[in-house]
Amino acid sequence: MKRILLLRGAELIVFACLATIPLLVVNPYALGLLTLLAIYGILLIGLDVTVGYLGQVNLGHVAFLGLGAYTAGLVVTKLGLGMGPALLAAMAVGLLLGGLLALPALRLEGPQFALATLSFAALSTTALNELESLTGGAQGLSLSRPPVFGHVLTPPLFYWLCMALLAVVWMLMRNLLASQWGRAFEALRDSPIATDAMGVGTYRHKVAAFALGSGLGGLAGGLYAFNFQYLQPQSFTYDLMIILLLGVVLGGRKSLWGAFVGSSVIVLLPNLLSNRHLFQIFSGLGFAAALAAGLRGLAKQTTRPFQALAPVVAMGLLVVGGFLVENTEDWRKAIFALMLFSVVVGLPEGLMGFLSHFLARLFRVPHAPLPEPSALEDVLPSRPADGAPLLVLEDLKRHFGGVKAVDGLSVSVQSGAIHGLIGPNGSGKSTVVNVISGLYTPSSGRVLLRGSALPTGSLFRVARAGVARTFQNLQLFGELTALENVMVALKGVYRSPLPMVLFGLGRAEERRARADALALLNLIGLRGQALNKAKDLTYGAQRFLEIARALARKPDLLILDEPAAGLAHPDVLQQIEIIKRVHQRGITIILIEHHMDVVSELCSTVTVLDGGKVIAEGAPDEVKRHPKVVEAYLGQPPQPASPESDPQPGGPAPQPA
Amino acid sequence: MNVQIIGQMAVSGALMGLVYALIAYGFQLTYATSKSINFGQGELVMVSAFFSLTLTNLGLPYWAMIPGGLLFGALMGLIVERAAVRLALEQKSEGWILLTIILGLFFFSSAENIWGRDDRPFPTPISADPIHVLGVDVTRLELSVAVGVIAIMGAIELFKRRTLLGKAFEAVSADRDAAELMGISATRTVMLSYALSGAVAALAGILVSPITTVGPTMASALILKAFSVAVVAGLDSGFGVVLIGMCLGALESLASFYLGSGWREAPGLVLLILALALRPNGVFGKATIRKV
Repeated sequence: MKRILLLRGAELIVFACLATIPLLVVNPYALGLLTLLAIYGILLIGLDVTVGYLGQVNLGHVAFLGLGAYTAGLVVTKLGLGMGPALLAAMAVGLLLGGLLALPALRLEGPQFALATLSFAALSTTALNELESLTGGAQGLSLSRPPVFGHVLTPPLFYWLCMALLAVVWMLMRNLLASQWGRAFEALRDSPIATDAMGVGTYRHKVAAFALGSGLGGLAGGLYAFNFQYLQPQSFTYDLMIILLLGVVLGGRKSLWGAFVGSSVIVLLPNLLSNRHLFQIFSGLGFAAALAAGLRGLAKQTTRPFQALAPVVAMGLLVVGGFLVENTEDWRKAIFALMLFSVVVGLPEGLMGFLSHFLARLFRVPHAPLPEPSALEDVLPSRPADGAPLLVLEDLKRHFGGVKAVDGLSVSVQSGAIHGLIGPNGSGKSTVVNVISGLYTPSSGRVLLRGSALPTGSLFRVARAGVARTFQNLQLFGELTALENVMVALKGVYRSPLPMVLFGLGRAEERRARADALALLNLIGLRGQALNKAKDLTYGAQRFLEIARALARKPDLLILDEPAAGLAHPDVLQQIEIIKRVHQRGITIILIEHHMDVVSELCSTVTVLDGGKVIAEGAPDEVKRHPKVVEAYLGQPPQPASPESDPQPGGPAPQPA
Repeated sequence: MNVQIIGQMAVSGALMGLVYALIAYGFQLTYATSKSINFGQGELVMVSAFFSLTLTNLGLPYWAMIPGGLLFGALMGLIVERAAVRLALEQKSEGWILLTIILGLFFFSSAENIWGRDDRPFPTPISADPIHVLGVDVTRLELSVAVGVIAIMGAIELFKRRTLLGKAFEAVSADRDAAELMGISATRTVMLSYALSGAVAALAGILVSPITTVGPTMASALILKAFSVAVVAGLDSGFGVVLIGMCLGALESLASFYLGSGWREAPGLVLLILALALRPNGVFGKATIRKV
């Protein structure tokens, strides 16, 4: 509770101070800067959704600022409507175009995403310039603030409006980003495949995140229009985009406070640059900070030499430049570049990321205590096994060009069983899993779950149909905690519609989700590490966590893809124990594994694949003696004296009897 | 509608398009080895052009200036690799996107202050008089662009296929880890690719400057189109960029003729967004199979 009180208290105090400033100070210039601070605050919170939460470099945000500004301007000048409709229209345009742009940009990552957004920004500048009849082209567009309820908005009143909107946006976004939505955005960044496979849906979340961020960009654009009352296409170019990125990165990603700090920096920056003396002081301070941090990092060996030295060199250049250069304004962009460079390399978490660690240590703020875990019976009700076939593969085929990875597979998995799937490397096990779970579309054949066809070619829809899986190459959400990894996948708890979440009315189910997720962590023995980031867990713990996360789907069928691969012996034993516990809940399991002892201990039935076909099926002991199986593994007819060969390093092969 | 005018527009556009193709080829070189591209490549083109202009003004003859310019470009490429790309790649983060943009901004601002903000002519011994070929006019200058582009791309492709170092380059492109296990230094190969990419950018600057003049903003439009070409053709498709570059050049020259010069950039951008939506791996790119 202490933590929450401190945070809310700090927010209240800052906003209260900001709100009273116009009453105390009557300096129009300062008021103008503060108004801009509020507007850029909204803009950067929007940008942070894509840059921070989705983790994509978005170079198109400035276009939404421009389009929002022009929309508001046109609504007022051409349609003669008031400020409210204008702002709403600006936001709607941002939302709509953002969503539209997200559709093609959906499949893109990294450089391609950056390029797509960059092109969109360039295209919108072209459009604003060329649609002269509407926008006035390079001439610009003048507008005036329409009165609100008969009142002319004086600068202080307009400032209060901007601040109030910033506060509202702040509150709504805080609620949203702390909810399942925010977690889904981050999950998407760390592993889109797993996000789909956990039934969360990368598609709608990516579109939603991008549209939301762009909508805020549009709203900020509307305010921008009424603030300056004059618009020009060349105000919304690549240069401004760089400055906005500077704001988000410098302030700190994934943080509302970071957006606030960032917007203060970019509002104050021009003033800083115009006063040479001030600039020298600040660059000197920056240099000292970089030097101290760099030396500390080197001494403690927490940073690489480049990471420690590069910011020092960059800030050093800034200091030297400050003395050599006559007019710092001329070198504006180089100065931005050096500052940004130092921050990106030396302080990747930004000012707020750094500060919040520092403050948390200073005040020793404890994490909010975890609730008691729910009863396992409530989270994962045990179900009776009826022994009927749960999953049936009928003549399943998947070919890649000429490679017949799966070639006519027919298997029936009984409900309540642990069904082993083994075979030498390249026998098609992983392909089968990927076809069942929807990553690959089958070339032909059918997959039936309880007698009805399972969706094909969509991880998301298969997950929704009740099939969960783990990944051989771990696909955890590394930046999320163990608890959050499970909460992201949790099924059947989150019911509140988006508006309720926005207004913070989803807290009850959030508490329930935490308790439920804790119960699952308890099942795999990770309750004590619930608040550790997944990437910081040991390798064994990460494998266990994959299972807990898949269980959060409350699946009918759980596919475990080599759950013991690479585990040390004690961890293998624990893994067996975990799988047994899961099996006791009545969940049907398909187990792909190279460790024969694991298979023998757990499975009631084993299917052996080779060359994409079934070569044997039966109880583990029978299968081990099957001549075809021995041949597949050893590559020769069984001879009593044949030396034991190991087709898979680390995993014992089935031995000829 | 006059067939001859259309032909004329298309041909001179296509020749310009070869410059986009050359810059896009520079993206492919670094993408092959490191899966990263320099978002500040346009600034490299511009800075190298300015440097070459300075060499010329110092009295160096045109043909002696070209190697100097290329060397400078290669050096800049190495700086980009060291300062912006290496750390991010080691950390497997997307930070290089931001860092290369930042470095480009720094080069831009430096060029603005060192060489000034005005556009300047770039002297060349190659004549700009039109010659008449198959009913359209082309200048020797335009032809020199084509020759230069094809020559350097051919040379680099030959280098990759015929020399041991080139084979190492191909090996790292195909499988970085396997190449490292065979004793090839991936870091050095990435450095090599950035140096080559920088040299390619410098040549693009030297070739295009006599036509467009030299100025800080000379490459800002150029680079957007080079991005489009690289993505539409696919970032790993070799000569596909030439084809797409020429098509785009012709298309935009026609667009500016029929829609107005302000819309010049539009076809490239629309094409880019469409290509990203329909074929994210490029028209000539290979689709990758997702593995987990």
